[in-house]
Amino acid sequence: MASFYDRLYTLCGYEPEELEKQRPRIEATLKKLGLGPGDTEAAEDFVRRNHEVDLLGVRKILGIWLKGLTDLVLAKDEGKKVFYFGFPSIGGIGMAVAESSEDVYSGCPDVVLCHTLGQIFNKLNPILEAGEQNGLPAGHSLCTLQAVRVGALAKGIIPIPDMVSLSSYFCDMGSKTDELLCERYGYPSVAVDGSMDSKWGEFPDFDPMRIKYLGAQINRLFDEVEKHMGVKVDAEKFKQGLFRNADYMKAMGQLSQVMNVDPLPISMATVGGLARFLGTADTRWARVEGRKAVEILIQEIQKRVEKGYGVVPKGAPRVLVGFPSFSDPGLIHMMEDAGLAVVAMTLMAPLRVKSWESNQPTLGEQRAEIEMRVGFYHSNYAIAKRWSEVCQDTKVDGFVWDYLFNCRPIASTSHLLKKVVEDETGIPVLSLEVDIYDSRYYSPSSLRTRVETFADILRSRKAAKN
Amino acid sequence: MNEMEKISSHLKGRLVDLWRAKDQGRKIVGYSAGGYMPEELVLACGAIPVGLIRSGDHAMVEMAGAYICRWIDTFARAQIGMALSGEDPYYKMVDLLVMPNTDNNIRALTDVLCIHTKMDIFPFGVPHQKGKYALEYYLHGLTKLKKRLEELTGVEITEPKLREAAELCNKERALLKEISLKRMSDPGVIRSKDFVMLNHASCLADKQFMVKTLESLSKELKKRSPASIQGPKILLTGSTLAQGDSKVLDLLDEVGANVVIEEFAEGMKPYWQNVTLNGNLMEALADCYFMKRVCPGWFRPGRERLDFLVKLAKDFKVDGVIWYHLMYRDSYKLESHYFPSILKKETGLSMLLLESDYDPSEVGQMRTRIETFIETLRR
Repeated sequence: MASFYDRLYTLCGYEPEELEKQRPRIEATLKKLGLGPGDTEAAEDFVRRNHEVDLLGVRKILGIWLKGLTDLVLAKDEGKKVFYFGFPSIGGIGMAVAESSEDVYSGCPDVVLCHTLGQIFNKLNPILEAGEQNGLPAGHSLCTLQAVRVGALAKGIIPIPDMVSLSSYFCDMGSKTDELLCERYGYPSVAVDGSMDSKWGEFPDFDPMRIKYLGAQINRLFDEVEKHMGVKVDAEKFKQGLFRNADYMKAMGQLSQVMNVDPLPISMATVGGLARFLGTADTRWARVEGRKAVEILIQEIQKRVEKGYGVVPKGAPRVLVGFPSFSDPGLIHMMEDAGLAVVAMTLMAPLRVKSWESNQPTLGEQRAEIEMRVGFYHSNYAIAKRWSEVCQDTKVDGFVWDYLFNCRPIASTSHLLKKVVEDETGIPVLSLEVDIYDSRYYSPSSLRTRVETFADILRSRKAAKN
Repeated sequence: MNEMEKISSHLKGRLVDLWRAKDQGRKIVGYSAGGYMPEELVLACGAIPVGLIRSGDHAMVEMAGAYICRWIDTFARAQIGMALSGEDPYYKMVDLLVMPNTDNNIRALTDVLCIHTKMDIFPFGVPHQKGKYALEYYLHGLTKLKKRLEELTGVEITEPKLREAAELCNKERALLKEISLKRMSDPGVIRSKDFVMLNHASCLADKQFMVKTLESLSKELKKRSPASIQGPKILLTGSTLAQGDSKVLDLLDEVGANVVIEEFAEGMKPYWQNVTLNGNLMEALADCYFMKRVCPGWFRPGRERLDFLVKLAKDFKVDGVIWYHLMYRDSYKLESHYFPSILKKETGLSMLLLESDYDPSEVGQMRTRIETFIETLRR
């Protein structure tokens, strides 16, 4: 029997038989979230205005996020053990836990909620407000991604987990927020710790002790998962988790290559904002359907390229962005409206990582070695070097470094990254203060003037070159 | 001249003394104020340790805006301002700046100084939790630091030299602890402002002088008959209590409250534990500075510190707790949300939360809040 949410879920890629089968779960989810007919109607309108739903791949990706939302919200009701990890986190860990037991929900709830309640229902603000009322007050530059988790738990819309893993090697605040939540709800937590203490200029070298310490922390995490959740993550499952994660990222890499043409055939709000973090936050549906959806999208983009279709005019200045918004596609659309072709995103672009033969003795250390060589968790210097390389490799005209003001490790690069990248590449960098999880204070319209001015500069430089 | 005046006088001439020592070939080793840089290593190679603990000037915080966004801890931004403006002469004279990497705020400070100055900077890691591997990592950092200091000074840090330095630093810590603990039975024996001044001085003064003066002061305090105090007894805790950031202590003095114990992660030197002198001294340093030290708020979990605060509140029989942290030190902000309920449950005490960006305009509202809190405690 048809229901008020059918149009939205169909728009988001649900097949009729799938919708029928999932109906009880969808209804239970919407009920728990307090979403009714008016909300799904508004969501349908929001999705149509903000996402390229003429593409089946996009609709499928939206659907995967919705399925992930259902899994998250109903996990405890459906008898699952619940394991949360943070963002950012070392890729593959959550996936390995999911691979190890069918009875476990393993995910990053805050990222799932941003992409669904934010990008589909446009209903994230009440969650953010609940986060502010429960320990993360506004005006203190506290991470709003954490506020989403705090708010969602306070409102009872996501289950209290059986265990959490904290990203203590990069971020101070995620770990401390979970400590606050552990005090409140009493669940066990394991901090995967590290220290980004490499000397400025040391990258790509690193002290081997960094691998030893971080590797030991990753190994310990799996021991703790077994202790608290009764789930054994063995070497094979860990490898599978890493493979799944890498496989999804490989597909994203292919997507990046296909879209790197003039005119830009697809919005970065879709590619970076919607698709990129699917494999990072959801471990079940991204695993089962994620790659296929991305492959569909690649084929559709190829068709757009053949037709010469562009989301911005041909010849628009090409830019790299730091991050897409997790919850508001309007940020990237505003850049496109300003005439910028956002052709690449830092966390998705291919990197100049040389292959190596790892002789690390444990899987944890092997994973830690990957992180050191990739560089995101190496140092700010490594991050600046990597982004400079990406700018050079993607041949962009400019770089919008949209740093998160309320993320200390990222905010610390506010000025230095601009300096290093401009020195290394000679292209202009716009250091733009944003909040990619909460657009109440840093709305796209409030940032428009700066982006438009930057676009003017890039157009002038391009014209002068020609 | 009493001992406090002697210390003040010594500090006034300290810069000149240090420049003279530098002229004579001594190396000056600066370190950030988080308490994770063992002065013993610096002393053992004949160099002079200098804690970069000065702060509190909002102009320096504003100056940092040219190099980093405002959403970084106030103390870290103030250090950027002081180092890059040349306002802090200590930054100008250090031959090596040791930066234990405690959290992202200090990492940000280190990076900015690396990019914008020609200072020789040595960062090393401080893990955020205690355990076998974390201790090993911290010890590894100390071992690298030892090597770097030997290169800098051309002096080998031998076991006897390190032992001698550890004995001296142990004496200093023991004396600071002894003086601090006197307040448990005799809360008026020394004002908090004076004790904080002693602690700050221990980061800057000549070590032999400091130990000798603390010994004399301890004897002097023993001779005094217990002083009666009127106002409520306060435990003052938080992220950073820098030299020069005296507004909270001043305001508490003005309203007649008595801070009887302080607990801070930065600015004040940890003095509760000493280095064990038998066995491997490098391991003993790591054990003292990392494992035995009550962890700061940025450790996860940080419950050890919160339990320690409860113990201090009970041991010193305080009437209330004031939690003073600097803006954007997120670890402290988050702990400040749930510690009051722990404190209330364990001791029945109330806590006042104060935050600062070193802005002079904060003083008015801070005064009102302190006055109200102290008035409440008096009832």
